[in-house]
Amino acid sequence: MLDRVVGFKNNTIIMKIAVLTKAIPSYESSIRIDSTSKWIDESVVNFTVNESDSYALEEALQIKEKLDNGTEVVVVTMGSQDNTSKVLKDGLAKGADRAIFIQNEDSNTDPLSIAKLFSDNLKDENFDLVFSGLQSDDLGSGQTGVLLGELLGMSTATLGIETDIQEGKIKVKRELESGWFQWVTLPFPASVSIQSGINERRYPSLKGIMGAKRKETKVINGQLSDIPKQNFMNLFMPKTEKSTEKIEGDVDGIVAKLMDILKNKLRIVS
Amino acid sequence: MILVILENQRGNIHVFSKEAVVAGQSLASKLGMELSILCMGENANSLKEQASDYKAKNLILAEHEMVSTYSADGYSKVLSDVIKDLSPKYVIMGHSYMVRDFLPRVSAKLDIPFVSDIISVTYDGDKPVFARQVFNAKLATNIQTDPNSSTTLLSFQSAAFSSDDIELGGSDAAPVFEVNLNSDDIKSSSEPEFQESSAGVDLTAANVIVSVGRGIESQDNIPMVESLAEAMGAEIASSRPVVDMGWLPSYRQVGSSGQVVSPNLYFSVGISGAIQHVVGMKGSKNIIAINKDEEAPIFEIADYAVIGDLMEIVPKLTEELKK
Amino acid sequence: MIKFSLLEQIVLVLFLCSGLSFFLYQLLLRLKIVLKGKSDFSIDQLPDRLKRVFDEVILHKKVASGGRKSAGIMHALVMYGFIFFGLITINHFFMAFGIHLFNDTFRLWYFRLFGGPWAFLCSFGILALAYRRFVLKPKALGKFSATSGVVTIFIVTLMLTYLIDELHLLKNPVAFKVNWWIHSGIIGGFLFLIPKSKHMHLVLSPFNIFLRPFEIPNHPAIPIDLEASEEELDNLLLDLSRLSKDQALDIFTCVECGRCTDVCPANRGGGILDPKYHFILNLKQPMLDSGDVNVVDKINVEAGWECTTCQACTEVCPVGNHVEKADDIRSFQVLAKGDVPQEYQKLLRNLQETGNTEGASSSELLQQLPAYTSDKELVLWLGCFAKHAMDPNFVSSVKNFTKILDSAGVTYGVLSNEQCSGDPANKLGDKLTYQLLMDQNVKELNKVKNVTTMCPHCVVNLQKEYSKYHEIKYKVKHHTQVISELLDQGKITINPGSLEKVTYHDPCNLSRTLDEVSAPRNAIKAAAPDFFELDESGKETLCCGAGGALWWKKDSGKGRTHLLRAEQVIESKTDTVVTACNFCYGMMNQGIGPLTPAGQEPIKVKDVADIVAENLS
Repeated sequence: MLDRVVGFKNNTIIMKIAVLTKAIPSYESSIRIDSTSKWIDESVVNFTVNESDSYALEEALQIKEKLDNGTEVVVVTMGSQDNTSKVLKDGLAKGADRAIFIQNEDSNTDPLSIAKLFSDNLKDENFDLVFSGLQSDDLGSGQTGVLLGELLGMSTATLGIETDIQEGKIKVKRELESGWFQWVTLPFPASVSIQSGINERRYPSLKGIMGAKRKETKVINGQLSDIPKQNFMNLFMPKTEKSTEKIEGDVDGIVAKLMDILKNKLRIVS
Repeated sequence: MILVILENQRGNIHVFSKEAVVAGQSLASKLGMELSILCMGENANSLKEQASDYKAKNLILAEHEMVSTYSADGYSKVLSDVIKDLSPKYVIMGHSYMVRDFLPRVSAKLDIPFVSDIISVTYDGDKPVFARQVFNAKLATNIQTDPNSSTTLLSFQSAAFSSDDIELGGSDAAPVFEVNLNSDDIKSSSEPEFQESSAGVDLTAANVIVSVGRGIESQDNIPMVESLAEAMGAEIASSRPVVDMGWLPSYRQVGSSGQVVSPNLYFSVGISGAIQHVVGMKGSKNIIAINKDEEAPIFEIADYAVIGDLMEIVPKLTEELKK
Repeated sequence: MIKFSLLEQIVLVLFLCSGLSFFLYQLLLRLKIVLKGKSDFSIDQLPDRLKRVFDEVILHKKVASGGRKSAGIMHALVMYGFIFFGLITINHFFMAFGIHLFNDTFRLWYFRLFGGPWAFLCSFGILALAYRRFVLKPKALGKFSATSGVVTIFIVTLMLTYLIDELHLLKNPVAFKVNWWIHSGIIGGFLFLIPKSKHMHLVLSPFNIFLRPFEIPNHPAIPIDLEASEEELDNLLLDLSRLSKDQALDIFTCVECGRCTDVCPANRGGGILDPKYHFILNLKQPMLDSGDVNVVDKINVEAGWECTTCQACTEVCPVGNHVEKADDIRSFQVLAKGDVPQEYQKLLRNLQETGNTEGASSSELLQQLPAYTSDKELVLWLGCFAKHAMDPNFVSSVKNFTKILDSAGVTYGVLSNEQCSGDPANKLGDKLTYQLLMDQNVKELNKVKNVTTMCPHCVVNLQKEYSKYHEIKYKVKHHTQVISELLDQGKITINPGSLEKVTYHDPCNLSRTLDEVSAPRNAIKAAAPDFFELDESGKETLCCGAGGALWWKKDSGKGRTHLLRAEQVIESKTDTVVTACNFCYGMMNQGIGPLTPAGQEPIKVKDVADIVAENLS
């Protein structure tokens, strides 16, 4: 499992945790299709940290603090220099030990290619844990964490809403549909995707902000190893033909109509 | 061929899987391919029974003691083996939490693309074009996949297809797939699923929301709406005045200063539709609004505008639902 | 003449000396702590300071005000009693040594004119106050106070023993001596009682009132240099945990009357914030224990986040305290610990990433208004609220203001690179984000001369807060001041409007911080013949609930702070409520609609610009 020397302190393994963080257009940004129709006009966009990624980072930092044994948190991002710098600064200011920036200026839309870029450039780090946000608010495929886990030979889990580090393994409480949950136990190394709301995120302290400058950021030139197997053909505006259907009349008639809608059109009830 | 995989949800075929069958049948017919349905892992045999009258070429069973409960390790290994053996052109599932958990493993294992959360399929000649939402559903995109890829994995968003449209007619054969698994393949372990009592509800996770506004007029009428919500399997929410008056706890509030929700159905009762409320729910996929006032702003964004007296409609509707 | 033995004299001297030493020791102990505080006392504007002491101590302007007027008058009786008894007390002790400072005639006249009457009045006063405290038991006075009971008994006994002496009721020398020693014992007893109790205000409050800064609020700048060394940063962070000299003196002066808690909107709204304890008294023992002022981390964090920073507590305090300490605890939490409530993190990120509170990339309103060029008289500073239509109705109020300016022939323009004034960041304690915005704004604003804005928060920051960090070359006026001036200069004429009932809600930032209550009224009264005042108006205004960045706090279950003022407005049965702040405007709109009882017409909410523009001739 581990090709490196495993350190122990306080009877706990000293770990290396990677947090994949993405810079994405903020919710309030105007999203306009650019002239190629294959991407958006980035000039009117404000890039910010993907929300579930920031929860993932917080979870990693809390684990680091709890173990208090020199466990390292590395914030990793990929993309263009302009958009991603604030993501790394934010991560370092909050307490990550160092950063890795895989520079790649293309707008990559194939989850598998993205995962391979990460895998090629991170495999020598031998991370014990990879945390990622559940999905990014731009592409929203939600696959990166799991793909990377498989490529690096890790065990995986998604929709983590609670974590518990134990000797040599991590327990993850997964959120299931309709209010159900399940605890799974994964041996290290593991890749876990984290759901928003798992914790209360910290704000960078002044010391953190000023100390971030002194922390190491490794810049790697990321080259795609293969031709992507899927990509965007064209972006388009989803049609919003909102036609309002009026329902009036006597109470029984209205109720009958509503039952029909609920049962047959919307399939809310059977 | 097209391979559709059925997912188990507490003993039954997951409704998303039924929709996936419809998707599979549709693709198969449009592309002139055959459809196979795979029942694998947890409760596989029971799923096979339940799917026995779905129209397909065959219903494949893949069972093994080591995947008698779901695990990402186990399911991804089994499915990968099935794909290697059968070489389906497309593998289809519904975009459920389980699919998100293990299908990407298959994608990486076999180096094949996985197009997830598809909202619609169109055809460019004989090539299917898959559309999915991006940028918080502000835009959509058509996806192009590598034509040389032997297999492409697909998952469809809920309600992209309707389970009502399943073609019936049964299947020809029921081959059994030899599952090969050993303990090295499954590294993770899981505990039984459980539910939690909801203290402080996350409305954003609710599929159906019944929301109540000032039109309810009195705190005494809240239980009536709560019964409706229960009958619909919905979470109850409200606009701000109801919370301000203490009729419902504040975590039930939907709006600019409450929760922003986009459930499958937002059923509003006695809400006028002030902008501070509307910004919290206009992303809902379907909106039904009941209000006495024809001019109520909520009707501008509603799919169904019910103009009537909620005091009469709500109890009757609840009664019908309970039947 | 009654003679005192040498033994008695020695006992008296020892007794008084021990009392005085104890008193002085305790006083100096506290003063030593106070002097460890940050920054210095200010003694500028001496005449104003002296007048303030006269008004607030002698005339009891803050003590005998509002709901506590009668109690305040009772207190005045006690205080004057003490003052008039000064001479009597001196004479009393000199008697032990056979020295008569005053001859019999003087004594008699003093007794008839002052001593006698004030003995009764003072006793009456203290008994009335005791009745209020122990029988009526107002909530603000808190739990049972033994010292107050002792003080009551002391004062009444003092007055009785005095009267007994002056009226020569005890002929027996022993009885006389006993009476005398009781009187002396009580005075000595006061020396032991005062320093460790709230009665220290006797000594400290005149000084505290004298030294109180004129600015309200009076939080110092916290300049942050991102290139600073580790050591400089540590010093800055250490400083954040320390109180200033003013603040430390306040805490020892506090008379525990609870007026601050009574007026606090967060407290009245059902929150946990109790300014008397959280901002003042809870810090006293920690200061005494550590002998230092490093007690900011003892302020209750949750209470600190509830504060709307409205300064009602500071305004009402009768002993000169600057009560509010939300700024201190928030700055500490944010800068030293990176602890910011989840609901505010998005707000701060928006400010850092887009320079406005809403994370918007553009402003429709900004584009619709004329751009500022150097030939124009005024810069119209919009503020985030107007620029990003935080209440969409307010946009028309801005347009109404421009209508007024047009009517008066005043030229104006907007600045295209206007950044948020930074008020939310400042109020939340994120001084770093605040500085980033302020530095950018000052650069632009120092190129212009005159600025006006409709948001009092912007005025406070652009004019007052920025000047704590930079040299400010421009002047800022609130739009009501501009309108009032134009009216006085005859550049606009306002016709009296309809006869509906109109009232005005004073925004905290405008009335208390900027000390402006007359300009808006000047304008409104010209337009509204049937104008009346709300309860708690002017500088006693009740905060709308949006201050201290609370506008952006998603409801987390507790409190009706954001509804209190709207409720009051509805109870006043007005037809229209006028405000002079966009946040107040927004809060009135949000609160009044839902709270109006069914069947009643909701009250109209207008800005001063609206009611004036409607009635311009």
